[in-house]
Amino acid sequence: MTLDELRATAAARHETCTQIKKMIVSRLDLPIEPAWITDDQPLFGRGLELDSLDVLELYVAIEAEFGVALYDSDMSVFGSVSRLADHVNPALAEQAQTGSA
Amino acid sequence: MEPLTSPVKAVHPEGAVYGTVLDAEVALRFSTLDAEYEAIRERAALLDLSGERIVELSGGAAVDFAQKVLARDVEYLTAERCMTSLVLAEDGTVVDQVVVWGREDSLLLESSTGAGTRLLEHLRAHAEPGVEITDRTAEYALFGLEGPYAWGVVGRLIDGELASLPFESIVDSQWDGVDVLFGRTGVTGEYGYKVLVPRESAERLWTKALEHAVPAGQDAVELAMLEVRQPVVRHEAGEGVDVLEMGAGWLVDITKDEFVGRDAVVAAFEGTAERRTVGFSGGAEVPAPGTPVTVGGEKIGEVVHAVHSIGLKSSLGLLRLPPDLAAAGLTVTVGDTEVVTLTSPYVTPKSWSTPII
Repeated sequence: MTLDELRATAAARHETCTQIKKMIVSRLDLPIEPAWITDDQPLFGRGLELDSLDVLELYVAIEAEFGVALYDSDMSVFGSVSRLADHVNPALAEQAQTGSA
Repeated sequence: MEPLTSPVKAVHPEGAVYGTVLDAEVALRFSTLDAEYEAIRERAALLDLSGERIVELSGGAAVDFAQKVLARDVEYLTAERCMTSLVLAEDGTVVDQVVVWGREDSLLLESSTGAGTRLLEHLRAHAEPGVEITDRTAEYALFGLEGPYAWGVVGRLIDGELASLPFESIVDSQWDGVDVLFGRTGVTGEYGYKVLVPRESAERLWTKALEHAVPAGQDAVELAMLEVRQPVVRHEAGEGVDVLEMGAGWLVDITKDEFVGRDAVVAAFEGTAERRTVGFSGGAEVPAPGTPVTVGGEKIGEVVHAVHSIGLKSSLGLLRLPPDLAAAGLTVTVGDTEVVTLTSPYVTPKSWSTPII
């Protein structure tokens, strides 16, 4: 794969991650800029320090924003913004498993 | 300042292998890396955290001073809570990553392994009237428990009620008639706890804890930390590397009005980072820091740090890449080996699906 093709693949993930960060900040009314959240940042406990009530809010928000129901998923879905991106945009998960080449 | 050595070294298992981490001699392995890793990820591991200095900030100006030297907001940190924060230099580079333990009349700062001398020097260089900075390391021993069943060890060793404390809660408790400070705070993604015990009782507690948990050394702990993208400052911070490039922006509270290094952090948040950090795995050979990352023969970045991951059965590490290429799911070349960039956490902790019962 060429550098430009890799950039395009990375841009697709960044776009979904940015969408997720905006959703989190807006839905949970966090006093931060979405861009301050990093893709690998843990969401619960350490990291963004969300709690179980926030999870419920995020389930609803994710379904509204991405049309994906995650209610039965385990907590690893929220392991990071990038991990969540794999679940709301399955094409990204496929790339993450196989590499983009 | 004297290098730190473990106060319970005499009762470590025979055959322990030691190494020097900055200003501390620590046990790298007590048995084998495989066995210790397996304890962290599958059962319960006992950690000797004697390489971490305990520094007390006390006096009327202690909280104001802590607000100045810590990158996160501790103004409302109560005596029942702890939190992790970076300590930054004026230029925004990382001095250390500390756990701040709230106390009634003071704060305890727990340095990262071996970084205590550097932390103390930094704190003293910024000292102000009204705050006392006291190295309490020689008065205590600090032990950790990590693993999906670490909560069970807490129950058998101290008090089952403590196992289900909320994350980053701390409690003054007792073990066998001895006052201890107990906290729920971990670094491997598994259930994690720490006990700060008076040094005179440390050998007894360590020996008793060994009946219930497998001792794990620095190598296994750092591997498990990397697998969940928990920063290990001495591997990841370097000359001219800011917190955003390191991927540790979440250990800084940029909404706080003032702290040492804030101007540099704000500039980094508002500017265009030249590099970002992303995880990778692939290949059997562990690449050295600085190994070039290439695509089609063109260099795009370099390896920050890498180890062999037992969980992934391959090399695992961090790459520093241009921001537009720092994303999971890309195949790039490290040295001569094709690797794939990863989504964090790289290994899903068993504790995330193991309830405390």
